[in-house]
Amino acid sequence: MFNLRFSANAGFYGLRRDRFTQYQPPRSLEERISLIARTQGIKGVELKYPADFADLPLLQTLLADHDLMLVAVNVDIKDAQHFLHGALSAPDPAARRYAVTLLQEGMDIAAELGANLVTTCPLADGYDYPFQLDYSTTWGRFIDSAHEVAAYRSDVRFCLEYQPHEPHAHILLNNVGKVLHVCASVGLPNIGANLDIGHAFAALEAPAEAAALLASQNRLFYTHTNDNTGDGGDSDMISGSVHFWHWLELLFTLDRLGYDGWLGGDIVPKQMDPVAAYSTNSLMVQRMAALLEQIGTEKIAALQAKGGNPAEMFDLLSSFMPKLVTETTLI
Amino acid sequence: MNKLAIISAFLGGQKNRYMVYQDECSLAEKFARVARIQGADGLELCYPADFENPNELKGLLEQYKLGVSAINFRSRRTGKWLRGSFVSEQKSERAEVVDDLRRTMDFAAELGCNRITTCPLNEGADTPFEMDYVRAYDYAVETFSAACAHNRAVRICIEYKKNDPMGRCLLGTAGETAAFAQITGAENLGATLDIGHALYAEERPAQSAALLAKANRLFYVHLNDNDGRADWDLLPGAFHTWEFVELFYTLRKLGYDDDWYGYDVVSKELDIVENLTAAMTLTRKLEEITDRIDPAIMDDLQTQRNSARTLPYLYSLL
Repeated sequence: MFNLRFSANAGFYGLRRDRFTQYQPPRSLEERISLIARTQGIKGVELKYPADFADLPLLQTLLADHDLMLVAVNVDIKDAQHFLHGALSAPDPAARRYAVTLLQEGMDIAAELGANLVTTCPLADGYDYPFQLDYSTTWGRFIDSAHEVAAYRSDVRFCLEYQPHEPHAHILLNNVGKVLHVCASVGLPNIGANLDIGHAFAALEAPAEAAALLASQNRLFYTHTNDNTGDGGDSDMISGSVHFWHWLELLFTLDRLGYDGWLGGDIVPKQMDPVAAYSTNSLMVQRMAALLEQIGTEKIAALQAKGGNPAEMFDLLSSFMPKLVTETTLI
Repeated sequence: MNKLAIISAFLGGQKNRYMVYQDECSLAEKFARVARIQGADGLELCYPADFENPNELKGLLEQYKLGVSAINFRSRRTGKWLRGSFVSEQKSERAEVVDDLRRTMDFAAELGCNRITTCPLNEGADTPFEMDYVRAYDYAVETFSAACAHNRAVRICIEYKKNDPMGRCLLGTAGETAAFAQITGAENLGATLDIGHALYAEERPAQSAALLAKANRLFYVHLNDNDGRADWDLLPGAFHTWEFVELFYTLRKLGYDDDWYGYDVVSKELDIVENLTAAMTLTRKLEEITDRIDPAIMDDLQTQRNSARTLPYLYSLL
């Protein structure tokens, strides 16, 4: 199995809100880092730029003291003050400039702290109503901005995280195909994807297929691990708690692809203890990976090569379950 | 003709998990905004937020001569009831929500609207095996029945919703809500048909209205629209134009024509007064199209059930 390296999104260890409710008390950077360090299996942290980088020396001390690596700088380009009408695609040149500048600053910090990776989910770039946007010019601006970011420095990888909707009914960058389109249009090797597994489910994709497509173009840089109920919403639940088989397929596929990026925990604990929630999230992924090894990844690959007969495949996949008294097997 | 009420929560600051839009504003400013929304007849008030100073509230209602369609009882509160209140496993929390709901019913009686609407959003579960559904329905019967018994003249409307913020709510569809109300046997327990919630639960709103009315549970209607995927609270008719016309036509047949429509329409980056004025205008426009339907012709067309004739007739009205 590939090297399972787990990190946590520090933003989700503190105060969160949705449309209706607030969860968790507000926690300082120190408190959040300390909780992450106590979370079983977590070796890395994803932090939000600019909010978490106000005091760089303090941050470096905290990371060193807790033996945590900075794995990704998540650049926030969706605040309503600057990006009410878009960020990378905003019609206002000043808003676009500010979004690009934030990402470039994030790249500098990522390089300075050794993460060499920025990620952003461009959620301000979307629309609600028919006839709201001129799609051609809007997409043109989006790709021009993305190019400007990627071209800024080649030693930092720039990840785009797609999401189908929220807070707008449509997000421009709403599926894996559009990410690949942006990467191909920009044409630079350091632009790629942060594959958020829940977002892929919300976009009605099989995450394993999305991973394979991205990897085929050398664009799979990073992943966010989570799950959801599959109704199009993005409830950031514990990995494998709903889409168990799809999660097995994803881990199998990442293994075949030789994925060497981090698995960034991106779950919202809501009413749960964040340490327990993130520990279980990593544990679930580890156990699913161990289960795959028990079933035999080579056996799965061999069945796929034969044509992937679902009856045979699920007979194999379910072989870890208790044997029935009257059981016969296809294989 | 139904009167039009704006839910007070949509007149000030609004937030979602990514963005904060509009400035927070006082209750007085919310009233001032409604007064500037052309076509608005009143408010749906939110409890507890709007009831911090009941005397001020009554003064504002008097000053602006605005009606009250209903009181929206918030069953989700920051810092409490995160695992539901009506179906909480803790008896003390169930008692607490019933007490608070009774207080709100007293306000509804005092204001004369005699209607509570509540969206039980935390009454649900995220993951399989999280909740004992049978016990949860038992708790819900216990709590809603107790509240309903407090004053039979006040109607309690459950605004059903499929999900958000829970992965699946306990009362997610018109059918579930009708069945639940019937299980309680409380005649003053019914539904708020929120058109956006119905649409993204993959319902046909007119059909849901008919079912709820058949069960004597169609108590209130909220208007908004979405693309069928989530609860975006957009302007009515932005996506489901003919569904709205069919709904209005059906509501008239069902006798829901001298009541209130409440609006949960989110303005996000748009000007609140302008956006909600558009909601009022679009509603009246859609009603105008509905008015052009000749009931005798429609009755004949619906008897024939031949869409090759029905749809051309509808388009001939535009």
